[in-house]
This record gives sequence, C-alpha cells and structure tokens, in this order.
Amino acid sequence: MTPFLASGAIFGIWNWTDAIIRILIIVLVMTVVVVYLTYGERKVIARFQQRLGPTRTGPAGLLQGLADALKLVAKEDLRPATADRWVFEFAPYATFIPVLMVLVVLPFAEDWGVRNLALGMFFVFAVLGLNIVGMLMAGLGSGNKFALLGGIRAAAQMISYEIPLVLSLLSVAMIARTLDLNAIAAGQSFTPESGQHAPYVVLQPLAFLIFFTAMLSELHRAPFDIPVAESEIVGGYFVEYSGIRWSMFQLTEYASMWAWSVFGSVVFLGGWAVPDTHTWAGPDWAWQLGITLIKSLAWIIAIMWIRVTVPRLRIDQLMSFCWKVLLPLALAQLLANGFILEYDGPDILLTLTSALGAVALLALIIFRAVKRPKSKLVGTYRQVQVSTP
Amino acid sequence: MSIWPEERVLAPGAAEFDSVDMTINIGPQHPATHGVFRMVLTVDGEVVVDCEPYIGYLHRGLEKLTENNDYRQAMGYWDRTDYLAGMACEVPYCMAVERIAGIEVPERAEYIRVIMAELSRINSHFMFAGAFGADVGSFGTSFIYAWRERERIYDLFEEVAGDRMFPTYIRIGGVAMDLPDNFEQRCRWVLGSIRQGIEDLDGLLTGNEIFVERCRNLSPLTSERAIALGVTGPLLRATGLQWDLRKAEPYGIYDRMKFDIPWRADLQGDIFDRFWMRLAEMYQSARIIEQCLDEMPKSGLVLNPDLPKTLRIDKGECYFRYEGTKGEYGVYAYARGGNKPYRMKLRSPSFCNLSALREMVVGNYIADAIIILGSLDIVLGEVDK
Amino acid sequence: MTALLGLPPIGRQAPSEDVAEALRELTAIEFQIGETATDIDVTVAPAQLTQLVEALQARPKLAFDFLRNIVGIDFTPEGMALKYQFYSFRWGHGLQVTVPTSVGHPRVPSIVRFYPAADWHEREAAEMFGFVFDGHPNPKNLLLEEDLHIHPLLKAHPLQPAEILQGIEEGPPGFKI
Repeated sequence: MTPFLASGAIFGIWNWTDAIIRILIIVLVMTVVVVYLTYGERKVIARFQQRLGPTRTGPAGLLQGLADALKLVAKEDLRPATADRWVFEFAPYATFIPVLMVLVVLPFAEDWGVRNLALGMFFVFAVLGLNIVGMLMAGLGSGNKFALLGGIRAAAQMISYEIPLVLSLLSVAMIARTLDLNAIAAGQSFTPESGQHAPYVVLQPLAFLIFFTAMLSELHRAPFDIPVAESEIVGGYFVEYSGIRWSMFQLTEYASMWAWSVFGSVVFLGGWAVPDTHTWAGPDWAWQLGITLIKSLAWIIAIMWIRVTVPRLRIDQLMSFCWKVLLPLALAQLLANGFILEYDGPDILLTLTSALGAVALLALIIFRAVKRPKSKLVGTYRQVQVSTP
Repeated sequence: MSIWPEERVLAPGAAEFDSVDMTINIGPQHPATHGVFRMVLTVDGEVVVDCEPYIGYLHRGLEKLTENNDYRQAMGYWDRTDYLAGMACEVPYCMAVERIAGIEVPERAEYIRVIMAELSRINSHFMFAGAFGADVGSFGTSFIYAWRERERIYDLFEEVAGDRMFPTYIRIGGVAMDLPDNFEQRCRWVLGSIRQGIEDLDGLLTGNEIFVERCRNLSPLTSERAIALGVTGPLLRATGLQWDLRKAEPYGIYDRMKFDIPWRADLQGDIFDRFWMRLAEMYQSARIIEQCLDEMPKSGLVLNPDLPKTLRIDKGECYFRYEGTKGEYGVYAYARGGNKPYRMKLRSPSFCNLSALREMVVGNYIADAIIILGSLDIVLGEVDK
Repeated sequence: MTALLGLPPIGRQAPSEDVAEALRELTAIEFQIGETATDIDVTVAPAQLTQLVEALQARPKLAFDFLRNIVGIDFTPEGMALKYQFYSFRWGHGLQVTVPTSVGHPRVPSIVRFYPAADWHEREAAEMFGFVFDGHPNPKNLLLEEDLHIHPLLKAHPLQPAEILQGIEEGPPGFKI
C-alpha cells in the first residue's frame, strides 16, 4: 500500500484525486440543495402565510428554483460607476468560499465527508469567521451608503456573536474531549456500556440555546437580519449587486444555512450516530445519510418558522443581548463544565447545571416581559373605556 | 442585568471621538416609504441627527382640477386622495358641497354612507397594521393577514359600487345606487371575518415580545405637543386625548351611534400605542357598522330626487371637517356662483401628521426612523394632493 | 391626560355667541365678525394678524390651541385672501380668520412661532399663490420643484400641458411662467 492511497478513500485512488472528486460531488450536491432550499423556503413560508407559493413552473412548481437560477445567470451583471472595481467583483467569492470550505469537514454519515480533520470543529469556526471579510468588501466596495451601513452592521454583529457561539461549542468540546466532528457525533450514540453520552442537547441545553441564537445571527436570519434589513437598508451589503454576483450571495446564504444545520445537528443532536443504525438492516451509510438529512431539514424549518413569525431587533438591542446575556451565560456554562469534569461528576450534573442556565435565560426574558407596565396586551383592544360625551 | 438598555449610553470616550455625519437619502424608491416620499437623514453612525422630508412627487393639482370641473365631475379626483379609503374621502367632499348648497340627504343614504366610510376606515387601518408589521421586520406575515381581510372588503365594495379602490359611489345628495339584495348578509359575514383578522394581527404582533420591545417608549408624544404640531386622528388619540370628530362635532347620523373612543390608562403616544389605537378603532368601526345594519331603513330613496340637473351654488363658504381614516379630513369650500367651486382646499391629515415627522425622528436610530414613519400611516396621495 | 387641558374632553361645543362676545373684548384690534356655514368668521388686516393670533392663543376665554388649516384664495381683481381655521380643544369651538391682502402686496406675518403646525401650510400657500410670509423659518417650495417659481392656484395661471409649464415645449404667444 503506497502512501498515495488513502485508507478510507471510496474510490481507492490517489489521495488528491479522491479529494477533488469528493469536492466536485459536494459542490454539485450543494447546488441542488440550494436550489431546492429556495424553492422549499418559498413553499414553507407561503403555507405559513396562507398562500400557495410557486405552483406554475413544473409540477407543483418544482422547477421554480432552476428557472430562477437560469434567470439570474442570464441577467446583466451591473457595476456602479463609483464602485471599487476589484473589491466589488471579488466580494461575492470571498463570502462564498468560506462556506464551501466548511462543507469539506462535515460528516454526513460515518466517515462520509470530503476529509475528516482531527481539528474539525476548530476549522469550522476559524473558516466561517472569514465570511465577514467578503461582506465588508461588498459593503465598502459598492460605493453605496446603504451597502456601507449593511457591511458595518454585518461586521459588528458577526464579530460579537462569534464569541458566545465559540464558547457554547467549546463547552461541548470539553465533554467530548475532542474536536474531531466524526468523533463528536459518535460520542453521542447513547450506549452506556461503551461510555458514550446522550446527545449533547440533553447534556448542554443552555449551550444549545446559545448556539442556536448565535447561529441565527451569523446567518442573518430573522430576528437578527439587521445587516440585510429590507425595510431599512434595502438588502444591506448586496444592494448594488445583480445577476450572477447577486446569486453568489444568495448561494452563500442558503449554503451556509444548510452547512450550519448539518454542523449543528452533528454537534448537538448526534448527527448520523443517533439513533444507532449499526444493528439495523440495510447499509449503514444510507440510514445515516437519511438521519442527517432529516435532522438538518428540521433545523432549517425551525429557522424558517422563526423567520415568518418574529419582527426584527434593533442593532443596540441585538448587541446588548449578546454582550450582556449570552456571553456571561456561556462563560458560566464553561466554568461549571470545567468544575464538573475536573472532579469527574456524573452526566446528570452537567444536564442539571446547564438546564438551570437555560431556565435562567428564558426566565430572564419572561420576567422582563411581565415586569413591563403593559404586560397583558393581547385582546385589550376590545376593552376600551366608555367615553361620556 | 438587563437585556435591553433602558437609556442609550455613549461608549466610554465616545465624546472625544471625531465622527463625520453622513447623509442618507431614503426614498423616493424605498420599500419603507409607503409610496413616493423622500427623506434625507443625517446620521451619526446609526443615530439620526437631522431629517428633512421632501414631498410633492405625487402632486396632481387636486385643488386646481376641482376649481375647473363641475361639482360632480370633481368627485373622481377626491377619492384618489386617500386611496386606501376611497369612500371615506368621497363622503366629506359631498358633505361639504351639500353644506354650502343646503342639500338634504335621504336617511337610508346616510346609513349607507356610514357603513361605507367605516368599512374604508377598517380597510385603511388593516393596511397600516400589515405594512407596519413589515416595517418592523415581520417577513410579510402581517401583510398577508391584513390583505386577506382587505380583499374581502374590496370584494364587498365591488358588489355594491362596481369598483374596488375608487368607487365614486357617494354622490352629492345621497349615493349612486341602492345596495344589492343580499348586502346585509354579506356584510355581516365580512364583519365576522374582520374580527377574526383583528384577532390574528393582535396575536401575531401585539403578543410578540420583540415587537413590543421595538415599539414601546419609542418617540412618545404628549397631547399638548401633538396639538401644537397639528397632529390629529389615531395619533392624537394615542396620546390619551379622547378627541374624535365623530363625537366632538357629530355630522351625518353619528350622534345616533354607540361607540367608544379607545382609551387606556397608560397611553403615552408612543409607537406601540398608535398601533394599539388603530386595532381598537377597527373594532369600534365594526360595532358602528353592525348598528347601522340593525337600524337602517329597509327600503327608501338613496338619492335626493329634487336635485337640479346642473348643480349651481350662488354663494357659500364652509370648512367641513370629517374624521378621516388618518385624522381630521377638512374640506374648505367656497362658492361664488356657477357650476364650479371658486376654491376648494383639502386639509389632509397625512400632510399635517407628516409635518411632525422631523421632531419625532431626530435622536432615534435609523431602524426606528423607519417605524416612526410607518406609525404615522401616511398616504402619499393625500399628502401631495 | 385630558385633565391637562383643563376641561371635559369632548362634545362640549360652546355656542358661537360666547366666542363673539369674547372677541369683542379685544378692543385694540380692528376686525369685522361674519359667519360661514360652519364657523364664525373674523376679518382682520395683515398688520394686525400677529396681535389677533396672540390674543386668540393666550386669552383663556378663547384659548384656540389648534391651527387646523390655512387656505389661500385668489379674488382677482380684488387681491387675495388667507383663511385660517382655528379650533379650541378646551372649549370645543372653531373660528375662521380671514386676512385680505391688497393687490400686488401679498405680505402676511408668519404665525409659525405661535403654531408650529403652520409651517407646512404657509409654505404651501406661499408656493401656490405667491404669498410672502414674513418671518417664516424655512420659506422653500414644498409640493412643487424647488426652483419652479410659478403659482399654479392663481386664477390667472393658465391650464396648460405640463411640458409647456416646465419649459420643454413652447407655449402660446405671450405665455410666461
């Protein structure tokens, strides 16, 4: 066996050829996923809003995504006269490439990924931080004040939320004692005799809440869509883009939504490992791929549900929520985990402390709402004071 | 530990920073300006330091057109002022002309006018609630909820008058034609649907923590300041002043109607109260319509039969005020013989409310400026005349 | 909140005699009292408008705290006039003030410092009729273009296609913007 042959390579060829083939496959899959995510989002949101969504292109509108993609590719690629040419033209790629790089390490089934890095989790948040560069490039290079505001907002928001995000992931990594995503998933398979844990959403509910909130913020989804707020700054940093470059931003948005969903379900919901498919009939990898798909779809639908329901926060509310609430709670979680793991406490203790923190977070918000003078508001429009003429 | 800052504090050392103010041009093509309105914001970072509104993009010369058209021909221009509530603009125009010409209106026509005007008010307020939700950032859900009810009201208008937005149904001396046979039944069904729509919007937006956090305590207005700035309508009532022209100076048959002017002990004129006030007003309007349906004469004339073929008014002057959907909709009419008015002037509530925009916006965030503009509920057709 | 304004909030409509009587106490100002179909009408010269408005706002029996509207009318050839509609939230009565201006001298003092609401109304009357409001803080065009100095609501203003008014096409002989 020569060193050029990868031991786990499915194609049994040289390592680098194998990597290229896998990357090509993942890019193709991602494109299809993005096209159908846009279709799916339109359909799901339409049902939430008592509409039908796309119905005309193909059966049940199934070809709508392809038609949109075709239209975008055929559109003229405009560049404002005041734009900084190279910054403007490279910005879409600078936002897109980090997302593509994240897809390289995600395990879709046991050992099914492009590469299985020993520092997979570290790689994810190191690479995703690069996203900001592209958005700032778009914001500054467009020569548009709305884009500038959007770019600056995006940078401020993403840098702030990166911290609670990383801390919440660290508290999982502490329990898993590894940064390898495959090992993290496998560590949640819930078999006590092998010393495996329950899924980390059970062990670390607070970290899960913090991760989910910070992820929404990183993705610029409602209620944290401040950098791209349509009703305020008309799309934010990509306001000046059109055609293929605009669709790169769209691609980034949906691809990163998918990547984050898979990543989140691997870290917190057990990924392919829960439930354990090794005793089931049929090929393992098929079951595992299906499980990952279902989990990430549930995750995506939760994101869409939140999008249609809640309004947008203001930038100062967003910032103070991050720095005053999420960050201290994430740090407290880290500290509690450290103590428990140092003295070899049982898993139940981890669950309890983290659940306490989660309850504290929710109680804080509810208490805040109830303390307000106008707390019971719904339905009050009916009870008005009788006026005496 | 608090989630949201009670007061906006400067970062340490921010006072020594040299920062450059930036001007942002919002409009005339901007999704949040509700038409062709433009405002130039001077911002320091995210905080608005100055705001200058520019209007007139939709100026169609309503007053000049009215002066050069027959009293009846000019009708069609007036329902295009507040184009979200066409019927509620025809009524004051006709009432002003009737006032100076001394024309009587049959009782059944009065009831029909009230029904149509109140349905228009509900229609306009639904538009506000839906668009306001979109301004605050709810992804179109509130919009679609509101649109569902608006479609039903428009369908009813079409059945009655043959047109949806600009029916030109109200005439000087009555209304153009009688109601269709099944109107009462249809109208009661629409009212039920409207009540459900208000419930839905109430649950979606009022019950939402983020919505309340965004709107509460934002740009509060006292009654005195509102009066000084010429602010009327739901905005004035949201400051806690129970003043409604339908009660203060009743016209038509409003003195027979039982309805309340919405009031709560903690009204302070902020953005949330303006939203709440409009929800409550829709509910009261539905009450008025129900009473009209109950008390209305079941048959009879709907247009004064003694009207001349060409309406000529020798002399007359009045300032007729009407509780329009956005506030005091005043029509100044001056006649000096002939079949055309010598001068007609619209005191449009949106115009006057919008003139208070600058004072409300300065000192708030850009995101807040957008929802403050949304809370004024301007209709540019009415602002620009 | 209604208590701040002193009296029961709504529906109180003072008979118009009360207003007329209170107005007669203003001996320093010369005016005539008339009537329209809806309000009492007071005609006063431009020179005394400020004095009258000050009294209308300050005198407790009048207490007109709300400026509803400002209307300009072109009575060519007898000059022009401005009509101010006031309302008192305290007493629930309305009043119209007519200010006739002589031919060629449409100058009226601005009342923005008494009623901030007058700002946009005065700007509108100024651009539509060519009134000059002395002391207005921001006398710019409001509805029309900023550099378009025509007064469309004057009776002498011809009805012409917009292209001619904007100077894109040539108007009939003798036509001037």
